[in-house]
Amino acid sequence: MDAPATYLNWAFILISIPNLLMILGMILLFIVALVAPFPHGSEEPGAGEQRHE
Amino acid sequence: MTGTTDTQARYYAGIRMVPFDLLKELVLALLGVAVLIAVLAAVLSAPDVPPVTIGSWSQADPVDFVTTASAELAGQSGTAQYGPPYNSTPDAAQALGPIVPQDWAGISTPIDTAKEFVLHPLELAATGNPTLTSALDTYNGADATHQQAWLDSYTKALDGATVENGQVTVAAGDYGPVPTLMGSLLGIARSGGLDALLLENGRFFQTDFTRPLLFMGDGNYMSNLAADQHLTGDQWGVMNETGSYPGQTWLWLYSVWYQLPPFNTAPNADLVIVLIVLALTTLLALVPFIPILRDIPRWVPVHKLIWRRYYRSV
Repeated sequence: MDAPATYLNWAFILISIPNLLMILGMILLFIVALVAPFPHGSEEPGAGEQRHE
Repeated sequence: MTGTTDTQARYYAGIRMVPFDLLKELVLALLGVAVLIAVLAAVLSAPDVPPVTIGSWSQADPVDFVTTASAELAGQSGTAQYGPPYNSTPDAAQALGPIVPQDWAGISTPIDTAKEFVLHPLELAATGNPTLTSALDTYNGADATHQQAWLDSYTKALDGATVENGQVTVAAGDYGPVPTLMGSLLGIARSGGLDALLLENGRFFQTDFTRPLLFMGDGNYMSNLAADQHLTGDQWGVMNETGSYPGQTWLWLYSVWYQLPPFNTAPNADLVIVLIVLALTTLLALVPFIPILRDIPRWVPVHKLIWRRYYRSV
């Protein structure tokens, strides 16, 4: 890890591979958080729900 | 309390609710992150680049050290001409019209580079050293014109300087006592003594590294090391870390402006960029009150994806 990182250069953007991986990882985590179901045990609408009357 | 409960019951009447153990989720998330941090720290360790000191600098690049010390003595270094908070150099502060926060804060850390970085350490080292004492007396006894002429000639001669046995040698010329002063300062620096003298604060613990850092920052050695590690401002440096560690990617919004014209050449770039980020942050905080911006969630309904089960059922 103490070895110099590789950097990618595109126009004015200069980014290290470790930073790029972190950013891609965060985007991936965000997408997973959007599509992963809540752990309710059932995907049936209304399961485990309560209704205030 | 009963009235409040009744009000809440009426407010939520007919709204479907899902029981959710928020505390359980919080505890599990904290535990998960703690385990992840412990494992990653054990496997990857942390950046451990040896610190740069005036001692290591003067040993690795004595010519750069002496050139920088000459500029400090002449009052021509970056620190000497920085303006507030170190000195009162006219028109040095970054300004945007009447906005000059550097001047508003004033000179909170006064630094006379000639006296504090060069002459005072030499005075301390001159005890029992008649050659150095005499050189100091000659320099201090000369008028400013002579001092400047000696320093100008010596600085020009440093372009062709050579290093022999740790000493910087320049071509013969009229430099007055300057070579003796610089040779002595280099000797103190190489021993590590100058690091200690610049940290001196009269207290037991010495934790204020402002002076040695400013001195090193005026030279080329430390900035070249930073450039090698992609840590300078024009390399998105604030986002980067030494070695192959990921850095502070969340600082992209500050860093990006420094790469773009006109900011990458503007003398007041720091001030302008701070104001831009301040304006953008304010804009973000006021999103609920700004037409168009506050309508974006309706046009890009990410929330419907998160609570898709609910939206399927209504």
